[in-house]
Amino acid sequence: MHELLLFASVPAHQHHELLQQLAGLTAMQPRHRLERRVIYKAYRKPGLINTRVGASQDLQGHDMQRLNKMLNGGMFYTQVVGPVSEADFGAQSPSEDPDAPMSGTDAEEGSGNHLYNYENQPWKLEFRDIPEAGTRSAVTSRLMASASLPKGDISTPMNAWGYSYVTEYAVEGDAFILNDIVIFLHRVLHYPTEQESHAPRRQLPPFQQMSPLERTGSYVLQASITVQDGGNQEMMRTASQHLFGLREQLKSAVRLEQADRLSLDTRAK
Amino acid sequence: MSAPKQDQLKTLEQSRQRLVQLTHSLASLITSLNQSDPLPPWNSLQSQASIISKNLLSVSDHLSDNRELLTSLVAYPGPEYPSRTQANTLEQLLRTKLDPRVDDWVARGRKAGASALEDKGTLSEADLAELWDWAPVEANEEARQRNWGGNFTLEEREAGVQNVVTGLRRVLEDEGDESSEEEEGEEDEMEVVGVRRQSTGAGFEFDIAPASAHQKPVEPVVPLDGILRYMTTGVSPGNR
Repeated sequence: MHELLLFASVPAHQHHELLQQLAGLTAMQPRHRLERRVIYKAYRKPGLINTRVGASQDLQGHDMQRLNKMLNGGMFYTQVVGPVSEADFGAQSPSEDPDAPMSGTDAEEGSGNHLYNYENQPWKLEFRDIPEAGTRSAVTSRLMASASLPKGDISTPMNAWGYSYVTEYAVEGDAFILNDIVIFLHRVLHYPTEQESHAPRRQLPPFQQMSPLERTGSYVLQASITVQDGGNQEMMRTASQHLFGLREQLKSAVRLEQADRLSLDTRAK
Repeated sequence: MSAPKQDQLKTLEQSRQRLVQLTHSLASLITSLNQSDPLPPWNSLQSQASIISKNLLSVSDHLSDNRELLTSLVAYPGPEYPSRTQANTLEQLLRTKLDPRVDDWVARGRKAGASALEDKGTLSEADLAELWDWAPVEANEEARQRNWGGNFTLEEREAGVQNVVTGLRRVLEDEGDESSEEEEGEEDEMEVVGVRRQSTGAGFEFDIAPASAHQKPVEPVVPLDGILRYMTTGVSPGNR
């Protein structure tokens, strides 16, 4: 699948107004979305044969080279996304959960009796390629794929596939749908304490303690169209025309534009 | 019948060249419309259109200048013409009636021309020019009669502001004529009023300050690229 994107930066003071403008444009109420996102990075598993070591280069066959390329070739950052609700923040984990570590340290102000059970947290793996280079059109387009993951702990399967935990953040925002365009007005929230953790949090801190990545509280507006068959030029052209149409409609409010390709670089170096 | 003279041949050659130019510029317009995505900018379209109209004009000038010659010319095949191999061209040359497609175009063109001439309902050129001469001056004078700024006109204020139907949900403030505040200033003002109404008692002065500070437009510190980069790879924007 392919994804066509346009982005815009929205200052905090414009956020409320833009929400209303978008609600008017799309004729729908905003759908509030809260997600926790975990970034994983592919790493070279120790024990894989390093072809450049030793003097045995001439012995290595063509097949071996190809295998190595497949195993070590594309190394990417990938994201695991889990939807949460605002009530999940600051909620205690169920006490009967044997995996809950030291509950009660930072979850004393849990909201009522709502419980956040990490073992039931659904996850989705979202892979995004680096945006295509050298396209003449003025939209960001990239290869994408998503897959549902088993609920609960994702560290183990991700590690088994050769991905290591990088960091975790939350995304808060509102989504709109306009024909085939998904409009997502969102911002990144940090967790309060930057503890040295190597796995996703099992408990979420109270929502008030989350701090925006952008100190002024600005938002990012993202308009995207997903195209099932990226090889279909006609389809891709229609989709980008639709995005340009939206850009024209929102021209007086925000400037939607192509993102810097390297800022969306998911290749792990 | 006599063979065409040298200058007559030259005229024919000229008409051929002008027609070739015209088809070239038409073809280039068509390809630029078909191939460029998004559409070419308006100024390039404009310049192409003006080139085409110049070409059309020169063709039509040329044709009408040499009308006498061109209407009297007759084509006929010479004995040495390779009619076997060039049968198609020969047929085209010997045709006296227009191609049906071309015939349609001509009919359409004539109809458009006729309807354009019949268009009597609109203003004539002179009337339009007069209107455009008159309008800016008059609009300017009308504008000068008023002191701009504020939410209501003098007439409205005299008739009583509360009677004016603004169609707005929020209440417009009626300020003096002298205040020519910007929109932003007014919005701040509105917000402060709201705060004052909500908070009762002595706390209100304290409440105003953060409210107006919050309302002030603050440009984002972290550029969009930085945010996207963080979202993709977890590299915080300060570390680059």
